[in-house]
Amino acid sequence: MSDSSRRIRTIAKKELIEFARDWRTILSLLVIPLLMFPVLFILFPLLLASEAAELDALQVNIVIQSNEFPDDLEDLLNNSSMELHYESLTYEGNLSNPIGEEERLRNGSVDAILRFEKAENIWHYAILFMSTSERGQEARNRMLDVLNDWEANETERRIVDAGLDPNTTINPLQWDGDIAQSDVATQGEQAGMMLSLFIPLVLSVWTFSSAIQPSIDMTAGERERGTLEALLGLPCSRIELLFGKWLAVATITGIGVLLQIFGLLFAIGYLASTNLLSLPDLSLTTVLFIALAVMLFAVMVVAFELALAMRSHSVKEAGSVLGPAVILILFPALFTQVINLDGIEAFWFAIPVVNVLLALRELLMDRFVLEHILVWVVSSTIYAIAAAVYAARQFKREDIVTSLS
Amino acid sequence: MGPALLTANDVSKSFGEIQALNHVNLEIHEGEIVGLVGSNGAGKTTLLRLFSGVYEPTSGTMTLADGKHVKEARQNVGVVPESTGLYSRLTAWENIRYHSRLHGLSDDIAWHRTTVFAQRLEMLDALGRHTKGFSRGMKQKTALLRALVHAPKVLLLDEPTAGLDVTSARTVRSLVRQLGEEGGTVIYSTHQLAEAEAVCSRIIIIHNGEVRADGTPQSLLELTGGKNLEEAYVMLTKDKARARQEDQKPMSKIATWWQSFFTPRTPMEVGEDE
Repeated sequence: MSDSSRRIRTIAKKELIEFARDWRTILSLLVIPLLMFPVLFILFPLLLASEAAELDALQVNIVIQSNEFPDDLEDLLNNSSMELHYESLTYEGNLSNPIGEEERLRNGSVDAILRFEKAENIWHYAILFMSTSERGQEARNRMLDVLNDWEANETERRIVDAGLDPNTTINPLQWDGDIAQSDVATQGEQAGMMLSLFIPLVLSVWTFSSAIQPSIDMTAGERERGTLEALLGLPCSRIELLFGKWLAVATITGIGVLLQIFGLLFAIGYLASTNLLSLPDLSLTTVLFIALAVMLFAVMVVAFELALAMRSHSVKEAGSVLGPAVILILFPALFTQVINLDGIEAFWFAIPVVNVLLALRELLMDRFVLEHILVWVVSSTIYAIAAAVYAARQFKREDIVTSLS
Repeated sequence: MGPALLTANDVSKSFGEIQALNHVNLEIHEGEIVGLVGSNGAGKTTLLRLFSGVYEPTSGTMTLADGKHVKEARQNVGVVPESTGLYSRLTAWENIRYHSRLHGLSDDIAWHRTTVFAQRLEMLDALGRHTKGFSRGMKQKTALLRALVHAPKVLLLDEPTAGLDVTSARTVRSLVRQLGEEGGTVIYSTHQLAEAEAVCSRIIIIHNGEVRADGTPQSLLELTGGKNLEEAYVMLTKDKARARQEDQKPMSKIATWWQSFFTPRTPMEVGEDE
């Protein structure tokens, strides 16, 4: 091993040891990315299901105001899990006018009021409720379900009374067979397409944001604490210093991203086991190209962040520069989500940040377009080198030993 | 007097429009303990940073005995900056080992040398402790150990006793004297004349980026006719001292404009307006 690579390794190792000793940083940069997707994909749906079950178990109080009420609708309502109270109907203007009813709807003594009235051959109705009350929303939804069922029955009855066939009258256009069977895309491809809409976004934003804290700590932090001056007097070049620090930040970010992907795969595996989502069809070559795209992106991002942080005189200044810089990733990432990949022009794959995100989208959909791959590999390499050169220039500045403190 | 170990040949250093050092010519000889004395902003730290290769001279050359540029000979220089520059999440030994590894030393040799000096500084027991809880004195001692671990030919100390209690300052001064007695070369920056007189065999007075005097304490008295060093110093530095270089750096126009909204005017400024 050459002296230079030994020094780079020493610098990186020291940075990683310091990083590992701060449990708060470990928590925010390693534990959170690992748990993020499982929490989002597994625990969140479980929480939603539990909340839905809780809502189902709610006993809602409903007042039905009507002077004439169909018997079959009354039967349907009686069979539902709602507490019903019947009142005669009085209103001003139209059925939706809640004047006189606001008080009991607001104080929760009644969750919803169904007004029902027949005019000639049409039944008119309105449901008075409070949209900001969960009980009110639930009461309204349950009543709508019952009313929809009753409407379907009533429609069918009227069609039969008119001497027509309800099936051919209501559904003159019908799909033949299984809709899913008609799609030639495999379940894996469909999963790839779905994942391509958010994995590039999450990966890029997380790579950028997780590199911020270590980048600042290892540059502006050192500058502020006065540790950089002693280091610059040692027989190691500033380029070695940059590479050592870059290696450390890239390792931390890389581990964070890998843990995030691991968490994501675990969550997808769980969803696949419950038939909610399939595993994407990805060949080994695709996986390798995805890794290359992420690596080139990480090289560029980490070098860029180290350079910006090195320019700053203090941790506070670096934070105020790098924090808003997330927008540089977030906006292109959101923009990339809506770009149509079919027939996309090659120049899109040369735009910084957008190129890697589009590449990830294509690769996750298992699309291999040689022209696109060439453009994003070459352009990403150029951007990564440019960011490294920029970072090297910042590390060679003489004023990096001075700090505001 | 030994051979010249460090040579500053017509060295000037400027930061933009600010002239930090102006045509400095110096020879530091082996075995000398040289005191760099000057007020804040005189140029002491800039000169030390030039000696350690952290800064490049704007003009002139800084060389070591073998004619090598100081940057290429950093192996021979040990630095203790004013801020000590210790990593708080590392132990004292890890801090020392980090620098020794970057000097290319094996851990065994580094540990042996560390323990020798740690015994002299009475901090052997503290080597395994994180430096976060260290007193200023302990930090300074650790920084000294770190600077000495690779057996440098020259030791550069920037205000090594600043902020230390009496006992710690005595320990540091005592070690520097011992190093001198053992033939070591030390450049010692301070703004305390009494300290320079007590420790150094040679004193260089720097003022506003220029070397105003260079010699033994006795020769400085003879040069100025002063009764003591303090009087000699005052006579040599009569013109007003400038501010530190960092303080002189102008703020950008935008920063000045923005800060003006949040900077209250002094009662004197308000009174002048009225």
